[in-house]
Amino acid sequence: MNPVPILTDAALRRRISNAALLALTLLGGMVGCATTPKSQLQIPPQTFPADALITQRGVLTVFGGRQFTLNGYLATSATNGQRLVLTENFGSVLADVLLTPDGQAHVMKSSRAFKPKWIERYIAADVRCLLGLGGADCPGQQLAPDRFAITRRWYQLEVQTVNITPGLQPAETFVPPKSESR
Amino acid sequence: MKKPLFVLALLLAQLGWAADSKPDLHPVADPKPILAALEQKMAALNSVYLEFTQERQLKLFAAPLKSEGVMLIDRPGLIRWETSSPYQSIMLGNQKSVAQFEFTNGKWNKLKLGFSQALKQVMDQMTLMHQGKLDALTSDYTISVATGAVTVVTLVPKDENIRSLLAALEIHFPSDLATIQAVVMREPGDDYTRITFKREIRNPKYPANTFDQAKPLDLATIKATVTKSP
Repeated sequence: MNPVPILTDAALRRRISNAALLALTLLGGMVGCATTPKSQLQIPPQTFPADALITQRGVLTVFGGRQFTLNGYLATSATNGQRLVLTENFGSVLADVLLTPDGQAHVMKSSRAFKPKWIERYIAADVRCLLGLGGADCPGQQLAPDRFAITRRWYQLEVQTVNITPGLQPAETFVPPKSESR
Repeated sequence: MKKPLFVLALLLAQLGWAADSKPDLHPVADPKPILAALEQKMAALNSVYLEFTQERQLKLFAAPLKSEGVMLIDRPGLIRWETSSPYQSIMLGNQKSVAQFEFTNGKWNKLKLGFSQALKQVMDQMTLMHQGKLDALTSDYTISVATGAVTVVTLVPKDENIRSLLAALEIHFPSDLATIQAVVMREPGDDYTRITFKREIRNPKYPANTFDQAKPLDLATIKATVTKSP
């Protein structure tokens, strides 16, 4: 026969105070979330040359904490836009996106890991943030002169710039596809 | 006077083209004897230390994208793939699991790997290739062999989805099949990744924790140990 638990006054008070503490903690957390503004990634001007090939290494942390490493090759042009090719560790292309000066994102290549919508919505936005062109939609921070973090609802991306080769990139790099199926 | 120069230029251009393309290779009708010889050669290898250069050739960019590192293999089924430049990363595999570390903020951080089974499969296949056990890959790849100044084993993925990412994997051996010189991963289109193995130390004795998935030994210590191995 199981003994019936008997709550003494002291035990009851302890339970109530524990519950109150938990409620206060949760409430405090919620208030904190509501009032603390999200920090915005602010890239200082001229962090990257206007015309360059920039190599970056990224760690993407998705919902549940799973992590993936990515290599990013970003060609920038002062007049023609930006082009990012994203690969996995052994070189396979996971995403390729062109950002044209008119503000459009053209998905040049997608993969099973990154669908066109995701590339258009998030990867393109993150490229703009990393180049200081993202406006107010860049939740994140600069971790070191060469390291940045972008934290969105679905993921966190930590990016380290590992190489910058200044110079004009081939013009064909920035030519959008003739027809795009949407 | 101009004509001989033109002919010379044409000749040089052709030679240049030949150097860029595959050397004169002849397909082998039955690759099995070569694959068996390869496995026999590699069976003598208990462990290997290789320094590599990885060149990613994207037609989009004029120059190849380069990285450097080491690949360490030991029996049974231990592998360590470490990129040392332009970033630092370690991938470790054994018969049961894989682990990855990234060097950020001045220290090594172990990642909570997503899709670890896919990475394990890649690491397992790399280990099999370096043990010459290419026959074990026939369920996933169609294997052909071509010989000439070098021997090239070409693996074409049977799975259509994988083929849309990786058109073919070429493994380049010297004619005596003693070692792997290079691995070329060809993608649909003209893009490819070439991994060239530059320095090889055969049968080194690795120090403890070289393949440790919790706290792997640092590369400088491993290098110092294996380069002193008799």
